[in-house]
Amino acid sequence: MQRREALKSLAVLTGGAILVPSCNFEKEEILAAYSNLKVTPAQQSLLAQIADTIIPPGKLKGAQDLAIQDFILVMVNDCVAQTGQTQFTIGLQAFNSFSKKKGGKNFSKLESTAKEKVIAEGLSIGAETTDENQKAVREFLSITKRFTIQGFMMSQYIMTEIKPYNLIPGSYNGEVLISSISNMKIDG
Amino acid sequence: MANFNIDATQQRTFQAIVIGSGLSGSWAAKELCEHGVKTLVIERGREVKHLRDYPTTNMLPFEFEHRGQLTKQIEEENPVVSKCYAFREDAMHFFVKDKEHPYIQEKPFDWIRGYQVGGKSLLWARQVQRWSDFDFEGPARDGFAIDWPIRYNDIAPWYSHVEKFAGVSGNKDGLPNLPDGEFLPGFELNIVEKYFQEQLKKHYGDSRHMILARCAHITGNLEYYKQQGRLQCQSRNLCQRGCPFGGYFSANASTLPWAERTGNLTMRTDAVVHSIIYDEAKGKATGVRMVDANTKQTEEYFADVIFVNAAALNTNLILLNSTSNRFPNGLGNDNGLLGKYVAFHNYRAGISAEYEGFADYTTQGGRPTSGYFPRFRNLHKQETDFLRGYAAGFSAGKYNYADQSGIGLSLKEQLLNPSKYGNWTVGSHMMGETIPKESNLVTLSKNEKDAWGIPLLSVHVEYDDNDEKMVKDYQEQMTEMFEKAGFTNIRVRDDHRAPGLDIHEMGGVRMGKDPKTSLLNKNHQLHACANVYVTDGACMTSTSTQNPSLTYMAFAARAAHHAMKNQRWGKI
Repeated sequence: MQRREALKSLAVLTGGAILVPSCNFEKEEILAAYSNLKVTPAQQSLLAQIADTIIPPGKLKGAQDLAIQDFILVMVNDCVAQTGQTQFTIGLQAFNSFSKKKGGKNFSKLESTAKEKVIAEGLSIGAETTDENQKAVREFLSITKRFTIQGFMMSQYIMTEIKPYNLIPGSYNGEVLISSISNMKIDG
Repeated sequence: MANFNIDATQQRTFQAIVIGSGLSGSWAAKELCEHGVKTLVIERGREVKHLRDYPTTNMLPFEFEHRGQLTKQIEEENPVVSKCYAFREDAMHFFVKDKEHPYIQEKPFDWIRGYQVGGKSLLWARQVQRWSDFDFEGPARDGFAIDWPIRYNDIAPWYSHVEKFAGVSGNKDGLPNLPDGEFLPGFELNIVEKYFQEQLKKHYGDSRHMILARCAHITGNLEYYKQQGRLQCQSRNLCQRGCPFGGYFSANASTLPWAERTGNLTMRTDAVVHSIIYDEAKGKATGVRMVDANTKQTEEYFADVIFVNAAALNTNLILLNSTSNRFPNGLGNDNGLLGKYVAFHNYRAGISAEYEGFADYTTQGGRPTSGYFPRFRNLHKQETDFLRGYAAGFSAGKYNYADQSGIGLSLKEQLLNPSKYGNWTVGSHMMGETIPKESNLVTLSKNEKDAWGIPLLSVHVEYDDNDEKMVKDYQEQMTEMFEKAGFTNIRVRDDHRAPGLDIHEMGGVRMGKDPKTSLLNKNHQLHACANVYVTDGACMTSTSTQNPSLTYMAFAARAAHHAMKNQRWGKI
């Protein structure tokens, strides 16, 4: 909650980004809120598109509608071990060249079916690969998929409007026939 | 000025002082205040008022920035407390952080603490099983530690007293080794747990039982608990956040507000007790020296009787630090045994498995407890090559989960419509009795002090061969029982956790009949300083296997009544 406030005030001050010198002394924008990751606004937007391909909008909102990219960055920045963070960052940086190789274009230029195909291919990169960038792309995508699922299912939208979470789950019944539970199908 | 000083001393004088506002201290305070005794409760931590100070209690999962998870930074800064299952984003504000209160681990020891009004009573697992004479007679029968100076009959009425007020849910099981109490309706065991009960009966007759664990939750007699402002447990299973219904027993929801209502309670929070003041001329303790946690100023408070309920190891620390000409090695420590014979519960081993039966069934709703195995090993006679035995938790569950394969709309629909059920999963964890030994002890650091000028506690507690054998026996016996019940994919574990993570550390100020071999008498008074009572985990002569909190509460109530009779106080 504090971070959201901090982010808001940062955004007012800097337009969401700050300028820091990079290794080659050129200046590039880095999102200050995710200090362990060194993510640029362009990469944040790419991540949003990837998340939105993993869980797209349909009858219900999709990942980007819910700003799941911000949740992913918070979780990777704060809760993932340093090796995972490094893989995530390298994989994110390498993702557009991976997309060009597999789909012929930068990710944002692809049609949605082509986008799905690129991500599916990235997720299925074999464990035996020795290409460091390939490894990082796979790791980046699998972390992204995991947090996209968590962020979506545990979003305020899903937990209040679609599948309301109840702080009081009701008294215990230890012998319920599965067939007696009526489950209305939710269309995505 | 003189008058001012006299007034100040009068204002600082009470009939009783209770050090510690947690589970046992709050019980002493409640009994004393209820009977008209002017009581000061000193708490080293901050105020935590029921309802007002439970900031996360009604938060929804998405309101936690990390959805409940700890950040790497918090884990790295808190290698000890991060190991505790309840130290998560929703309740970490009720735990002591590693850096705030350092201690010395001569051997690995995970000391889990809650420094606030209510102490760990906000965080406990709420399991309340009575001891029986199979437990109290253990040391005498099996020749370890020393004989307890009391038996079940001494404590049984106090168990009843505490159970009624706290609210305990359970079934009357009629087991001599786990006596029945004053129970509110029990929660339900599920279909697989009931099946396992029947299997035990079939294969072991009357020698092994798995029952519904008794837990300190309100499930009935609702009008009675309304007097405390407490309501029926709603099975939220978010207890560690503090309960807005007061559905489980905590000092904050129950005993402390009850004591406060009498007008006889004074609370002094943010006050770190340095030592107990001993008056040689009077031959008794006269008060307590404390350091304000924030200003670091020293203050003294005075009383006729002092209850030390600082939580087991901190009670040891305070007594060890209470030195005088008469007691150069700590208050009441004539025999040099203060701080020694510390013991705990061995939680290292566990087992999990699956059950393919009852595939058409699942469970719904929540339940704040589970199944429980009372000790069956060496119960009636010695039958193994190790002493004593273990209790165990037991539960079965079934989970509905979603297919997470693929991406895109198909994944989205899979997630929204979880359709898969696995087999029933069954699991258990051990709660082993450990044997108190002189070599398992706590001492005061000679040169390191905390921010309040109090020596750091140095902990030297480790497992022994008896514990190793017991881990193995638990794994073997549970495997055998699981196999006989037809469970599959059985996996045993030994997580080699350090002592302490059980949060059942006990002893150091043990009770006994003989002042040469014990610190406390049968009424919880220090043999050598009779107006000081110890009724928290420090008083334990042996540990048995039951979750100990209920016993501390009963001890505290019993000792408070002893003090009142002795002092001819109150309306008893």
